[in-house]
Amino acid sequence: MSFLDVTDLDITYTVGAGSLKAVDGVSFSLRKGESMGIVGESGCGKTTIAKGLMQLLPKNGAITRGSITLNGRELVGLSKEAVRRLRLKEIAMISQSAMNALNPVYTIGDQLVEGIMAHTSFGNRGAYKRAVEVFEMVGLEEKRMRSFPHQMSGGMKQRAVIAMALSLNPSLIIADEPTTALDVVVQDRILHRIIKIQKEINSSMIFITHDISVVSEICETIVVMYGGKVMEMSPTDTFFRRPFHPYSLGLKNAFPLITEITDELISIPGTPPNLLLELKGCRFNERCPFAQQKCAVELPLFYEPEPGHKVACHFPERVEEFRERSSHRDTWEVVRERLIREYMEKGAVEYA
Amino acid sequence: MLGYIIRRLLIMVLMILLVSTMIFLLFRTMPGDPTASMVDPSIPREARQALLERYGLHESLWTQYAIFMKDLVRLDFGTSYFYNRPVLRVIQDRLPATLILMFTAMLFAYIIGIFGGAWMAWKRGTKLESLGITFSLIFRSAPTFWVGLLVIMFFAVRLGWFPAQGMRSTGYVGNTFREIFLTTDFLRHLVLPAFTAGLYFLATPTLIMRNSMLEVLSEDYIEMAHAKGLRERRVLYRHAARNALLPVVTAGALFIGAAIGGQVLIEVVYSWPGLGREIVQAVTRSDYPLAQGCFIILSTLVMVMNLIADVLYAFLDPRITY
Ligand SMILES: Nc1ncnc2c1ncn2[C@@H]1O[C@H](COP(=O)(O)OP(=O)(O)OP(=O)(O)O)[C@@H](O)[C@H]1O
Ligand code: SF4
Ligand SMILES: [Mg+2]
Repeated sequence: MSFLDVTDLDITYTVGAGSLKAVDGVSFSLRKGESMGIVGESGCGKTTIAKGLMQLLPKNGAITRGSITLNGRELVGLSKEAVRRLRLKEIAMISQSAMNALNPVYTIGDQLVEGIMAHTSFGNRGAYKRAVEVFEMVGLEEKRMRSFPHQMSGGMKQRAVIAMALSLNPSLIIADEPTTALDVVVQDRILHRIIKIQKEINSSMIFITHDISVVSEICETIVVMYGGKVMEMSPTDTFFRRPFHPYSLGLKNAFPLITEITDELISIPGTPPNLLLELKGCRFNERCPFAQQKCAVELPLFYEPEPGHKVACHFPERVEEFRERSSHRDTWEVVRERLIREYMEKGAVEYA
Repeated sequence: MLGYIIRRLLIMVLMILLVSTMIFLLFRTMPGDPTASMVDPSIPREARQALLERYGLHESLWTQYAIFMKDLVRLDFGTSYFYNRPVLRVIQDRLPATLILMFTAMLFAYIIGIFGGAWMAWKRGTKLESLGITFSLIFRSAPTFWVGLLVIMFFAVRLGWFPAQGMRSTGYVGNTFREIFLTTDFLRHLVLPAFTAGLYFLATPTLIMRNSMLEVLSEDYIEMAHAKGLRERRVLYRHAARNALLPVVTAGALFIGAAIGGQVLIEVVYSWPGLGREIVQAVTRSDYPLAQGCFIILSTLVMVMNLIADVLYAFLDPRITY
């Protein structure tokens, strides 16, 4: 049993008459103090996992299977009040849209103090003192406590939100693309501040992004998701030296490490599958340059090339070949042409 | 802020002069001769002429207008034909009753509307929500006098809880404001008309609050408030409702004009001795000065309320600075 265990987690959204499984059989574990990166294209279910962990899913979303245990305690099915007590104190979230995460009609200080007071027996004064402390940790002056959100720059707001998330030394921090709205220089500074504080208070962290190069810098483990499923999960250093899954190979082409930049950038053609349709087989099969007949009908199980490293693909024995071929642009161009052809044929059928 | 208020007040004075001009013209172009209602048509011509002269009705329109405006600036609205007293006096007597009734009703409607609207947004998609919407719309669409009569029938006649008519029991005479308005007898008389007017006003704050709340509830800062582990009620009322309130305040200011329309009917149904009823009577009696005065005071009231709403808005929303 680790600090955090997520097992066979399904999260389903009801949409109109249908439903879509945005998170499908996801399992992972996190040690105390460990930081894990979740990467994947837009819509693959990253935010949904984060909200599932916080039990903050919108009304049409629900955990339909699986378990989440934190320190051995089951979180799925906890009462509202028990969940409320966990939030911020145990699990804190730095949300994807931190720009709009502050209430425009209250001062930043009030909003921080309010959160602290909801979980502690600190009085107003004590909570204020704590708020000033975390403000200093993220590099904001005390006088900013009296500012309203509209009086602050994006970077300051972002830091205020981070200060809020860290105000009670949570044991788990979930950072959902915490810096996407900021310019690159500020992004970097803020990122490093988060990591520094996370190490200081020894919390575990789940870091969500679609930029895998960031993960290579700051996370010990990486989870690659696609269409609601985990494709590959690995210690970061192994992953960046030797990815296994064809999707990971494609992603890595799209986000090369500084040391590996070549003149041609290769992207993965096509778009993620429509989760509203019933999906069989490997979620990636439409866009995979190595897909076989089997891939479209049979769901690949995980294989473990080494302990702590899992890959969901039908062809473990062909990894070397995949790795070689995926670095060539032609390999992916073939997919692009196939997708275009299929699209035209489908169109022709629809018009006929 | 102070500068803003002063600027607004100046604009208001201009507006009032403009509105007064329009009201003046409106009354001069209305059919019907005031002397006909004022003076027995069978009286001799000379007497009639003397009356016209006494009221200044023989002068040209321009001269009348000049006199009218000159008096207006001195807050002199002339003398009521019917009461034979200065118009300002009559209005002074009637205005408190109207204001008290209107504010009580608004308070009732806004408190229930704001909390009810917020609660309906929270209960979105449930039967309770549709029930709430239907309820508030019924009282908005039903004719006020009809609702008023039903209320009287039930609470005054059938149950006998509250008096149905007037502002005080017969025989009671009060002279000072305190003697008139700060008595339980007055409060008992206030209940039914305020309740009826409140029901009529209810739909606006309720529905606007509900819509604006639905919008606010999908904001990121609401999710953040939940993520902070705040209690649901705190998120709903401190974070969501506070922001959702802003459009309600704006709409409230605009609504005042409409509210006065409803108010008139209610005052008539309940024989409430207020300005609304006075207007109706003044118009039917062709009591120009009084009707003019009432209209001008009511327009001023609407403008003042708008100003209050704008100032309130600045307090509610720190992003607004004047
Ligand atoms: N409230 C919702 N109702 C219905 N479907 C939803 C809802 N929220 C998300 N989805 C769907 O669930 C899937 C996963 O969404 P999610 O927001 O978790 O993706 P993501 O990986 O965070 O993407 P991004 O990188 O764009 O933030 C998407 O297909 C999305 O369309
Ligand atoms: S299972 Fe098939 S489709 Fe999926 S990644 Fe492996 S080869 Fe590609
Ligand atoms: Mg997301």
